[in-house]
Amino acid sequence: MKKNIFLLIIALFCCAAVNGQGRSALRINEVMVVNDSNAVDDFGQRHAWIELFNSLHAPMEISSVYITNDPQNPKKYPVPLGDVNTRIPKRQHVIFWADGKPSRGTFHLNFLLEEGKDNWIGVYDANGITLIDSVTVPASLGRGMSYARSVDGAGEWQMRDDEGDNYITPSSNNIIRDQNDKIALFKARDKNGFAMTIMAMSIVFSALLILCLCFLAISKIGESIARRNKMEAHGISVADTDAHAATGHDTGEEIAAIAMALRDHFDAHDQESTILTINKVRRSYSPWSSKIYGMRHLPK
Amino acid sequence: MELSFGDFLMSNLTQFWHFTGFYNATWQHFVMLAVGLFFIWLAIKKDFEPMLLVPIGFGILIGNIPFNTHAGLEIGIYEEGSVLNILYNGVSAGWYPPLIFLGIGAMTDFSALIANPKLMLIGAAAQFGIFGAYMVALAIGFEPDQAGAIAIIGGADGPTAIFLSSKLAPNLMGAIAVSAYSYMALVPVIQPPIMRLLTTKNERLIRMKPARAVSQNEKIIFPIVGMMLTCFVVPSGLPLLGMLFFGNLLRECGVTTRLAKTASNALTDIVTILLGMTVGASTQATSFLTPETIFIFFLGFMAFIIASASGVCFVKIFNIFLPKSKKINPLIGNAGVSAVPMSARISNNLGLEYDPSNYLLMHAMGPNVAGVIGSAVAAGVLLGFLA
Repeated sequence: MKKNIFLLIIALFCCAAVNGQGRSALRINEVMVVNDSNAVDDFGQRHAWIELFNSLHAPMEISSVYITNDPQNPKKYPVPLGDVNTRIPKRQHVIFWADGKPSRGTFHLNFLLEEGKDNWIGVYDANGITLIDSVTVPASLGRGMSYARSVDGAGEWQMRDDEGDNYITPSSNNIIRDQNDKIALFKARDKNGFAMTIMAMSIVFSALLILCLCFLAISKIGESIARRNKMEAHGISVADTDAHAATGHDTGEEIAAIAMALRDHFDAHDQESTILTINKVRRSYSPWSSKIYGMRHLPK
Repeated sequence: MELSFGDFLMSNLTQFWHFTGFYNATWQHFVMLAVGLFFIWLAIKKDFEPMLLVPIGFGILIGNIPFNTHAGLEIGIYEEGSVLNILYNGVSAGWYPPLIFLGIGAMTDFSALIANPKLMLIGAAAQFGIFGAYMVALAIGFEPDQAGAIAIIGGADGPTAIFLSSKLAPNLMGAIAVSAYSYMALVPVIQPPIMRLLTTKNERLIRMKPARAVSQNEKIIFPIVGMMLTCFVVPSGLPLLGMLFFGNLLRECGVTTRLAKTASNALTDIVTILLGMTVGASTQATSFLTPETIFIFFLGFMAFIIASASGVCFVKIFNIFLPKSKKINPLIGNAGVSAVPMSARISNNLGLEYDPSNYLLMHAMGPNVAGVIGSAVAAGVLLGFLA
């Protein structure tokens, strides 16, 4: 019974872990309230849009999450089941059109965003209680502007007007990269590789030094435990050992030499019982180790 | 217009001719086939790492049979959906190397290291070969990520080299893998002259105290603590270090003997066959016979020399601070590179050459297995910085 409870607890823990790595990583990434010159939907029409981003490095299924613009009504728009497009690939985006026409498809919401007002947008998990992410788009957001995170799935919210580096990026990365920043930085600041060598060797040494110190400590503890157990087995007290230590330890070679000398002198030999005993070894049965299942049945 | 029977026959035979290897062959293909044959010859006749060089050598032959690449036959290793491409996924997605590490963990006895933990530092010092080669690669003109992928050859660890190059420089992976395995096979040729050059006769005669017996509990604690400590420091090394220590726990815990046997025998053999063959097949003439490959081989050689030398020199410096009774024989310094157990065997053989009763094998196994951990940590560091 106890074992079953333990397994149940582990199973629940695993379920929680799976959930923890799932939809909680869904992010509202960019929002446009008044779309007068930007992306068009499948019907060729422009509407306000909300971009969601899967910040995981794994695909995410978002069907049955809720998108809403009313904190009092968290279940306002459930993302329908059964649409393959609701599975967002890793680090990718989907656009929902806030056009109030859910009959047009999965990605058309049943509410509108209002110009000139603060627009609160929330994404709730399938239970309609857990708020995954929310944002309040300020009323001051102008026509044709978007409200976006500075970095996909993270960073500060900022207004973007599509001028200069302030790209509006529906269904695309909020930062457009044409190179790996880390490598560019190393290339610019560490041309000869000294910094990398110093850092990396320090880390390698630190990792192995920590391991080394840890095992020096473990071996000390292990040795002292082994010595104590041995003493207890032989009925030797700590005082006896201290007295022995004062006279110095006998090395293995010395003991071997003494034993050899005694044997030569007395022609002594250990008395042995010369009795051989064969005990049957009992093992608990398991089909995994059964010979019967391991045998090949040859065709007759 | 209807074709005559003769024309029909001729057009089909001509078409067939255009599909044959003879029609599509270039001189580069023949060079690569010769390289493949050379590897097989080295493995069979010279006994240089046959477990690695036979699959790689034959893989090179498979990968360099010329065919019409525009015919859409789905037979080439880079053609999506082909059998070779499916097998190659373990290399390109980087999941063969962690499986090999699982096997290495299940095969490796870390007792020598646990008995004398300070030998771990030799394994760390030898990783300087990686970063020395990184500096040289940057000087030659490689990009930092390419330099990192090439430099890992200095870790003398084929699976690690494949894992890192698949992440940092997939286009160079074939050359890096072949270079890494070639030099691992040539460890008995490369290391002894460096060891002789850097040590005095007296140093070569240093006798080390026999390692103490290690308890079963310590052997069980080692993979658990080792994994947690190293992966907390370098989480990017998790695929390699996690599997290495997991394999070792299977071996040492005493209740999973069957799993440990499978990991160290059948599983490792299967993955080694697939890894070696697909790595060999990925070295196609068009992408392999380039000046970059020559540089990669040169840098790999440099990395091995620097790694071996830095291991030996570190021991010499370390000895300055050690009491006379605890001096370390610098001949085990070369074993800091993780060519297990080849470099440890070289330490032992060279030690016996100068003192026929001075067996260094068990002492050298300490830095040798520390080198495996060290090179995986170094790969994790490079991945963390450059990926």
